[in-house]
Amino acid sequence: MAFKAVPQKFAAKINALTIGTGEREISLGGENVFPFYSFDAPIENRPKIGIEIHDRGHYAGVPGMDAYYAGADTLAQTAKRAAAAEGADFLAVSFDGAHPDNGDRSVEDCVAAIKEVADAVDIPLVIEGSKHIEKDAKLFEKIAEALSGRNILVMSAREENYKGIAASVGLAYSQKIGAESAVDINLAKQLNVLISQMGVKSENTAMNLGSAAAGYGFEYVASTVDRVKAAALAQNDTMLQMPIVTPVGSEAWTVKESIVSQEDFPEWGPREIRGINMEVSTAAACLAAGSNAVILRHPESVKTISKLVSQLS
Amino acid sequence: MAKFVVIGERIHCISPVIKKAMDERDPEPIIKRAREQLDAGADYLDLNIGPAERGGDELMKWAVQLLQSELDNVPICLDTANKAAIEAGISVYNRAKGKPIVNSADAGDRIGNIDLAAANDAICLALCSKAGVPSDNDERMAYCQELLERGMTLGMDADDLWFDPLFLVIKGMQDKQMEMLEFIKMLSDMGLKSTGGLSNVSNMMPKHIRPIMDSAMVAMSICMGLTSAIVNPCDLRLMETIRSCDVIRNNTLYADSYLEL
Repeated sequence: MAFKAVPQKFAAKINALTIGTGEREISLGGENVFPFYSFDAPIENRPKIGIEIHDRGHYAGVPGMDAYYAGADTLAQTAKRAAAAEGADFLAVSFDGAHPDNGDRSVEDCVAAIKEVADAVDIPLVIEGSKHIEKDAKLFEKIAEALSGRNILVMSAREENYKGIAASVGLAYSQKIGAESAVDINLAKQLNVLISQMGVKSENTAMNLGSAAAGYGFEYVASTVDRVKAAALAQNDTMLQMPIVTPVGSEAWTVKESIVSQEDFPEWGPREIRGINMEVSTAAACLAAGSNAVILRHPESVKTISKLVSQLS
Repeated sequence: MAKFVVIGERIHCISPVIKKAMDERDPEPIIKRAREQLDAGADYLDLNIGPAERGGDELMKWAVQLLQSELDNVPICLDTANKAAIEAGISVYNRAKGKPIVNSADAGDRIGNIDLAAANDAICLALCSKAGVPSDNDERMAYCQELLERGMTLGMDADDLWFDPLFLVIKGMQDKQMEMLEFIKMLSDMGLKSTGGLSNVSNMMPKHIRPIMDSAMVAMSICMGLTSAIVNPCDLRLMETIRSCDVIRNNTLYADSYLEL
């Protein structure tokens, strides 16, 4: 008997979340099939790739990155370079320097810097905080206000600070919110419920389910993302239908394989290649599990993943 | 697995308020009761217009259009002995939120309702009985097979036949309860869907007892594989039990706020 393919498309679908404005506006999610299952139904929006820069400068000591960002002295100049990277759909700006332990950069300084960035580039913007609960709540509010109308995505609201962020970023300034949990599927859903109960529409929320570098407990990430997608599509769970945005660079570039020097481990080869490999393999695995967007650091990784996505979509 | 389907039973012409509203074509009391049930978590609304021998088709059309236009095309279970009224209801029914349910067919006089459902691409509630209460599960299963075969022959999808095991009143038929539960398990093992008038079990019990008994029965039935029930969704204890069962069966992902969803 001839094989008859039965398309597995679902009645439910992932919400399409738009960020950015004008011609550069992009949509995350919107699909009603499993990741890359374009043989079941067209993928509404191919997965998107973000390039990440930091207010404390790019990661020095990686020759390719040094060369790519050479001469860019301000955040705005760095942003311009990053935005031009081949395959980058959006720019993620991380404010690690605002953390009290990392220099405690003032909110005013950060706002001034992001305004310059916003003036310098038209690519959609994603704001990553300092990972300090209280500081981020203040920082996000002021950035959301300053970039009013730019339709930015603010990463991330956590269990401890979602109230203020939902009220300011989501409601007062109508920007998009990323709900962050740390590889905890029940908390991921709960946080979405709480944010929606604050009055933020589900269509204006993304999820950062947490991440890990490949080989560092990644199987928990993969199974969490997998189950979220399955519940969203097969069970039509509206509290899990937000697109998933996964920061990969911050994990991939902080594990041993990407840190140790070639002098200490000559048989491992150049650090930069190892870092890119970690970043690319982690990102590919995240996308295969169901991330609708990944955030990467190295322009070479962005280019590689972009090629992967375009060939699979 | 899909979530348990709650069919709200409270739009019923046996209620004087609803009867009067239906007679006078007064939308308010019907909409109010519909909204209460949806707010409480009902998935479908049962619309019982009684035997409705005269003018049933007009009444059903009016009520279906009323409910769907006011309440975002809420899916409806068309409940009457009048076949023409069911057909009239389906003729104006909007399927955006789910197929109409025909309530109901049995293996006796009402077997023709399977044909009606098949002809109209509707879901059909199929009572596993002929005349009166079946004496045992062999009899129930024989009716089930008969109804299933008829539906399948007419091209229906087995998922569109929701079998009713016949919930029996505990006061008077206490010794029959476990057998009925075992029948639900048989349906479930065959991969069939099931539903029924669950609150029948607590008939004639004091008002404060009924939510407790109904909750226990729904939990035991869901454990056996019941996929839906026609109940009072405004019974909070019952709805909390159903939501908890959905979590335990892994039909829905747990979150601390699961009772509020």
